[in-house]
Amino acid sequence: MVEERELVTALQTEAEKESAFRELVTQYKERLYWQIRNMVLDHDDADDVLQNTFIKIFRNINSFKGESKLHTWMYRIAANESITFLNKKAKRNNVSIDNVKNNAVRKLETDVYFEGDELQLQFQKAIATLPDRQRLIFTMKYFEDHTFEELSEILETSVGGLKSSYHIAVKKITEFIKNQDETL
Amino acid sequence: MEKYKNIPNFKTPENYFEDFEVRLFSKIAEESFPKTAGFKIPKQYFENLDSKILKEVAASERTGKVISLFSRKYFGYASAIAASLVIGFTVFNTKSNTISLDSLQLAAIDTYIEEGNLNLDLYDVTSYIENEDIVNINLDTKYATDNSLKEYLLENIDTETLINEQ
Repeated sequence: MVEERELVTALQTEAEKESAFRELVTQYKERLYWQIRNMVLDHDDADDVLQNTFIKIFRNINSFKGESKLHTWMYRIAANESITFLNKKAKRNNVSIDNVKNNAVRKLETDVYFEGDELQLQFQKAIATLPDRQRLIFTMKYFEDHTFEELSEILETSVGGLKSSYHIAVKKITEFIKNQDETL
Repeated sequence: MEKYKNIPNFKTPENYFEDFEVRLFSKIAEESFPKTAGFKIPKQYFENLDSKILKEVAASERTGKVISLFSRKYFGYASAIAASLVIGFTVFNTKSNTISLDSLQLAAIDTYIEEGNLNLDLYDVTSYIENEDIVNINLDTKYATDNSLKEYLLENIDTETLINEQ
């Protein structure tokens, strides 16, 4: 695996940019894909957002100043692209963002690329009820196992704020699943 | 409370004991959560992804070079002027009953922007604007009324994160 600093230097050198970018894609495509997928749920949507993310990275790499780590910067772009995608989808269909999220979760029930059981489906429904930023914090912490310190750099939010948001999310999800169980 | 004797000089992170219960109850709750999301991917997806992404990036670079008509310096000004013209024409022409080719073209531009197709992204715009451009921007705030600002904040700010940041 190429060291990040070397990779950045190569990415910002015209002669080496293309081969360095190939290396970047190989190293980070899976991690970025799953981060995005956990937000947009649908595989095809995740595929679109992932491509947009890499296009954005390629276009803006020369303005990357190294104030954060390269992977932190990339995760941030992926996070913003995911939320932008959902907002655009809502606007295009003239519905609310909540509507978009609820539809995405409903579609999971018949989605060939979802093999979850009933609990996993309820879990996704619960996560979909969270506000966007909280949902991002929860999915990045729970599924991708970032530390709060890493998340703080990626999302440019204090560790304390992230911890509060995360624990509130856990509480809301627990309540949601409990209420669903009681209804059944 | 009795003072403890012979405590070794260990420290704990800030707010460790204050946060302990919250962290503990979260961990207990998480025990009942599924460990994975349940998502699948198509066969060979990641194996084929590299070439797909590289093709898309190359295509977007070609498209980008053809469409770019403005010099970097004036891109921000041009966007602001275009948006102002559209808003201005829309406001002044609302009572007109005659449909002209100009108003149709402007209506089409208006719709294009409203549908989010202009796609003015923060990263793209900031790469064109220099620091002196930001200092020299003259913002017309007469359309940003208190009510419209309140509405925007209510719809777009995650209040829990804001509260937790305090």
